[in-house]
Amino acid sequence: MSGIRRGRLLSVLLVLAGLLVIPGILFANGTTEKAAAPQKATFFWAVYDGVTEDYRASLQDAFNKVDPNVQIQIIPVGWDQLHDKLTTSLAGGQPPDISVIGTRWLLEFMDLKQLADPTQYVSKATLDDIIPGTKEAMINGKLWGLPVAAGARFLAINNSITNKVPKTMEELEQDAIAVNDPPNHWGLFMPGKKHTELTDFAYYFYAAGGDFFAKNADGSFGKSTVNSAAGVQALTFMNKLANQDKVVEDGYMGLTRIQGHPLFYAGKIGYVMIGAWVDSALKQAGATFPVTYAQIPGFAGHPSTPLIITDSIAFFSGGKALGAAGKFIDFWYKPEWKGKFDQLAGFPPVTASAGKLPAFDTPMYKTMGVAAQNAKGWPLIATWDECQNAIWDAVTKVFLGQATPKAALDEAAAKIDKINGM
Amino acid sequence: MSVAELTLRQRLWTRESRLAYLLLLPAAVVVVGFMVYPLVYVVLMSLFKTNRLGWLTTFAGLRNFVNVMTDPGFWTVAGRSLLWTAIGVFSKTVLGMLIALLLNIPYPGRKTARMLFIAPWASSVPISVLLWSWVYNPQFGLLNYTLKLLGWAHPPVWVGTPIPAFIACMWVDVWIGVPFMALVFLSGMQSISEDLYESAYMDGVNAFQKFFYITLPGIRNIILIATLLSALWTFNDFNAIYILTLGGPVDSTDILITSIYKNAFAYLRFDKAAVMAVVTFVILSFISIVYARFYFKEEQTA
Repeated sequence: MSGIRRGRLLSVLLVLAGLLVIPGILFANGTTEKAAAPQKATFFWAVYDGVTEDYRASLQDAFNKVDPNVQIQIIPVGWDQLHDKLTTSLAGGQPPDISVIGTRWLLEFMDLKQLADPTQYVSKATLDDIIPGTKEAMINGKLWGLPVAAGARFLAINNSITNKVPKTMEELEQDAIAVNDPPNHWGLFMPGKKHTELTDFAYYFYAAGGDFFAKNADGSFGKSTVNSAAGVQALTFMNKLANQDKVVEDGYMGLTRIQGHPLFYAGKIGYVMIGAWVDSALKQAGATFPVTYAQIPGFAGHPSTPLIITDSIAFFSGGKALGAAGKFIDFWYKPEWKGKFDQLAGFPPVTASAGKLPAFDTPMYKTMGVAAQNAKGWPLIATWDECQNAIWDAVTKVFLGQATPKAALDEAAAKIDKINGM
Repeated sequence: MSVAELTLRQRLWTRESRLAYLLLLPAAVVVVGFMVYPLVYVVLMSLFKTNRLGWLTTFAGLRNFVNVMTDPGFWTVAGRSLLWTAIGVFSKTVLGMLIALLLNIPYPGRKTARMLFIAPWASSVPISVLLWSWVYNPQFGLLNYTLKLLGWAHPPVWVGTPIPAFIACMWVDVWIGVPFMALVFLSGMQSISEDLYESAYMDGVNAFQKFFYITLPGIRNIILIATLLSALWTFNDFNAIYILTLGGPVDSTDILITSIYKNAFAYLRFDKAAVMAVVTFVILSFISIVYARFYFKEEQTA
């Protein structure tokens, strides 16, 4: 009796297993009538100020209509979360096919052997259209990331508050003091709350002629030089603006860059060091005051040396539809789409075809063109996120009065050297 | 054959037990896959050097533990975690008790009041914290705007300076956690017989005496369980701190859970993060065991 029951149970289990397994075998061998599943690539899309959700959705829809067998899923991710999300995805073995990345992250992902060669998937026509000078992701003669945005930072001036264009940082300080009128408006914008990038310290540091690392004879990075005379000058100056001159917005310690820039769009800040998204962000905020654009000045005796930010698109070797991702890039980098993106994000074009569009013949893009000539980027070092965190802490300690600029930067430099095993 | 005469195999492998095993199998697979495996892997990570993707490279033995334990920063964060948990649980217990007492008194609109008190707990935690980040905004925020209206010319920058940032995060954690405590205490209070209160009233007992001699002993076990759960949740409250301050300024609001996250996913030091996770696991297990022993001892005594 129990043998019969056991036999029946076994039969039922076998039938169930068959029902599960047989369709899989049929699909695997391609004997089914049904068409093969479309190739669907995933794309981590960094959310740029100015680039609307409508643009992202319409780009995705437009590409997905071209060929039902080649699809893209564009996943918007905030800049502050993007690095964490990518790392988590890579660690979990589920990377996207492509992602926007800060170009400085490339070395980190190269170290981890997670990158695929984009030139294998993107057409030659698209690659040839990319302006050679924007290919910062060219490492040892090989292109590891396609430039998606590249732009030097500059000074934006609210002309309803001031028309003066400072030639040096010292002049900027005096001009900011002259126009400062809280709580109606403040002379200068400065974020004091840590956010994803160390941009503001870099503006002043580069303006003082600083470099984050010493360079070894072979071109590699050596010890941290953030505590150099330039670093101390920059941080002392920032602290003076914030805590002695008090020309920066109230509550600056509680504001990140993203949280604070709307104050400029609302006409409450005289000077702001910013990127090219400012133009479209001002339009979206309905700002009516006139704005002029100028170079971020150097300290007396130093040339203007703005920060240049480049972002790239990386292909990940663990991606499951790299071919589809390559086709998407070919589609997106056409001037009608990429040119529109560049305008919304406010970056100068990275492709020759988009560069011919009349939309880029404006004072802001001309200012950026000049700025790019002497600009410096972030150091390309795999541990940069941890290094910049140490510098952020030094800046914050000085703002809070917990340390002098020299002591805080000495501590940061020691931490950075330890992080880099020196 | 009596039950005592059956062999172990016969007792564990009956027709009914086989069916039970079959039905338990999916749950067991899920538990092993999603709880046991990650736990084991974290312990392994703590004993190995890892690469920047968290993959094991070389065996390190206890070296990772020594490195973490000799770092003064770790002890600061661990101490702050305990302080955070103690203040959080105490505040939630006291406020939850007060609210539960208020909600236990019959008055018109009591049902509406109960529903309103649940709202913070029923809402999505990250969304609630984001709303609070707007409230704390030094330029546009409702809190500082109100404080300025009330005559405080320079109110604190809530998430930008160390002590106000800790208070701001603590308040959000308490705000989210209080409704649960209030609800649990309220359900306990409603299980206490009205006769006790009536006879106390006849004896001329005042409200404080009723609370200390009837209500509090009546919900003692519920308080124990609720505070244990609250301690575990508060110790691991990631959202309030990470969304409001990222653990800053200068790590002044970092607790173990946010520090683990930063070490793992921002700095990609998975081995260090794993050590901290193991330590957290040990601390929470210790708290749970102490509580459980105390709880069951009380139950046996009762």
